[in-house]
Amino acid sequence: MGQETDGPVASSDRLTRRELLRKAGAGAVAIGVAGTAVPYSFAGPLRYKGRDLKGDLTIIQWVHFVPAYDEWFDKTWCPQWGQKNDVQVNVEHINNTLLDTRAAAEVAAQSGHDLFFNLHPMASYEDQVINHASIVHEIESKVGKYGELGRLSTYNPKTKKYFAVSDNYVPDPVVWRHDLWNDIGESPATWDHVRKAAPKLKAKGHPIGIGQSQEVDSNMALMAFLMCFGGFIQDEHNRPTLYSKHTVEAVQFMTDIYKRGEDSTIFGWNPASNNNYLYAGTASLILNAISATRTPESLNLPFSDELWIWPIPAGPHGRIGLEHVMGCYNIWKFSKNKENAEKFLADLCINYKAATTASQLYNFPSFPGAFPFAGIRKAAAADSHKPHGKYSILTTIAQRYTHNIGYPGTTNAAMDEVFSKYLIPQMFARVSQGKATANESVRDTMSVVKNIYAKWRKRGKI
Amino acid sequence: MSAALRHKLFPYAIAVPFAVVLGFPFLWMAITSLKPEYQVYDPTKVWHFHPTLASYGFLLHHTDYLRWVRNSCLVGLAVVVITLVVAMPAGYALARLAGRVGRTLGVAIFLTYLVPPTLLFLPLSRVVAQYLHLSDRLWSLIVVYPSFTIPFAIWLLMGFFKTIPQELEDAALIDGCSRIGALVRIVFPISLPGILTVVIFTFSLVVNEFVYAITFISSSSNRTVPVGVPTDLIRGDLYNWPGIMAAILIPSIPLALVYNAFLNRFIAGFTGGAFR
Repeated sequence: MGQETDGPVASSDRLTRRELLRKAGAGAVAIGVAGTAVPYSFAGPLRYKGRDLKGDLTIIQWVHFVPAYDEWFDKTWCPQWGQKNDVQVNVEHINNTLLDTRAAAEVAAQSGHDLFFNLHPMASYEDQVINHASIVHEIESKVGKYGELGRLSTYNPKTKKYFAVSDNYVPDPVVWRHDLWNDIGESPATWDHVRKAAPKLKAKGHPIGIGQSQEVDSNMALMAFLMCFGGFIQDEHNRPTLYSKHTVEAVQFMTDIYKRGEDSTIFGWNPASNNNYLYAGTASLILNAISATRTPESLNLPFSDELWIWPIPAGPHGRIGLEHVMGCYNIWKFSKNKENAEKFLADLCINYKAATTASQLYNFPSFPGAFPFAGIRKAAAADSHKPHGKYSILTTIAQRYTHNIGYPGTTNAAMDEVFSKYLIPQMFARVSQGKATANESVRDTMSVVKNIYAKWRKRGKI
Repeated sequence: MSAALRHKLFPYAIAVPFAVVLGFPFLWMAITSLKPEYQVYDPTKVWHFHPTLASYGFLLHHTDYLRWVRNSCLVGLAVVVITLVVAMPAGYALARLAGRVGRTLGVAIFLTYLVPPTLLFLPLSRVVAQYLHLSDRLWSLIVVYPSFTIPFAIWLLMGFFKTIPQELEDAALIDGCSRIGALVRIVFPISLPGILTVVIFTFSLVVNEFVYAITFISSSSNRTVPVGVPTDLIRGDLYNWPGIMAAILIPSIPLALVYNAFLNRFIAGFTGGAFR
């Protein structure tokens, strides 16, 4: 065998094996080549058979975590709206982490979809989009006032422009394993409780799962955490205020939680990592939307009944949370079918009850009149998953503890840049990893934040 | 243990750990692809589970997977052809350009390969959309991909052509061949390992490419495998791990077979310019 590599027999063996592999490889390639011959590889989207619609509308949005929502949107809402308005609607879905890249590419090309959906307000693209005010007014005339959260997230008071329309937002509760916390006689009512419980939970093999990575879940969790301690990135006049004793205290506190009750994987997380951490039965607490509870329910994971959802734990400054994601539609100035896009968006927001229901209460309407809280609460209470009524708390979270990015100011271009560059998770991670003191890290981040705000102020956007 | 036995076992002692480490991801992919989704997260079911082909069924019946594979193959083959047509004569010319000019040009061309797509996708998206009008068409990828496959292929072939003695071409010319004839009849056949390397490398590079594909293609039916998989098999926070693993495993098997079949020539192609 091995020692006979120079011998004729071995050589013959090797050739035989090569021959076999070559034939197998050639066969595989042949199958691939044959497949490419199918002519519709270049085909475009299918149109309604036997129907020649006058207008077109192209939409790009995320792949919703609730398959039923996409099913409803793609196969019920869009076709029905298209038929009614004589418009061919083409919807494309991409992974949520790729939306920013896609938006940048469409802006660079000055060409793209008529309606662009993102999971956060894209305030930095204000000059690239139309003023959506007329759409907002149209919706308000049908279902009542734009929710405060939506308005603060999509309206620029400086330029008096609506740079997007939010159709929905998603409350961001804390999701925790009741069985594990009960074992140690604790519950995550306050951040102090979390810190105290962290070492005990970690010792039992169930660490806390709050990320400090450059991804959206870490971003939202840590920004909300900051606010609970009185640390705010900006004030109500959109002036940067990050560098404060409250922020330093918050960073120090989170470092403490990390050291006592987390592990270093949190520095490399992606948006799904905290979910997977929970689904694997490891995490004892995460901050996430209800995807974190819906998935275990649908997969019948053994601890799915033990997953409780509560409002964000209270800090010294109170209980101040953020939305988990803010669904926003944007119409580019270069959109080819602006009128169709405007009408579609208005109709969607007006009829949002069906969307909220299809999303299994994941999407809350940004225009509350479209599906009032009382109705959502009733639907949540009817949810049969255990513990019964656990989703009822969502309306309380939405009404009392959900704020916009940049609270107490508005979501603006500078805030969008701070958000998109993940400066806050980096600020926390540097301290947790021992690369800087809390004071140094906050001070350094503040200097970057100041420059960002100065840039956008110069551009007249804040 | 006798010296002969030690001598016999020595290559295995080196090769087996490597094989285990390199083969493990494939084993893991295969195992995960056969798991029911709810058992993926269960640490007690790592090795003991109820195997199912549900993920393969989902892939084939509920996604455009086969079309993504076809698209990847089509783009890959088209780019391979374009790359060979441009890189072979270019590589030859640069190899025969004596002196500093040839070397400098060769290095300069190779340097363009090092510019990452993350820097180029924004300006290129304007070119693709506004000037070429190829948005959401596979042609956009076929046009753009050679921008990074050709430089590398030229550089690779250049090194390979340099190993071929000039005297062989001179002999062919004396025997009545034209310059092109000498190239086609003498140089290219000798360079087959290098050309095969370019083919395999280019094809692999293209079917793995992500940034341009996600930027220029948006409809599901026109996606390639690297874009279709994360887009259609990840729903927000929820990863369809069995489906993802199945989707990756399927194309990696024929690619591994092709690599294995041409392994010796592949190595010869890469090291062709290294030993003169």
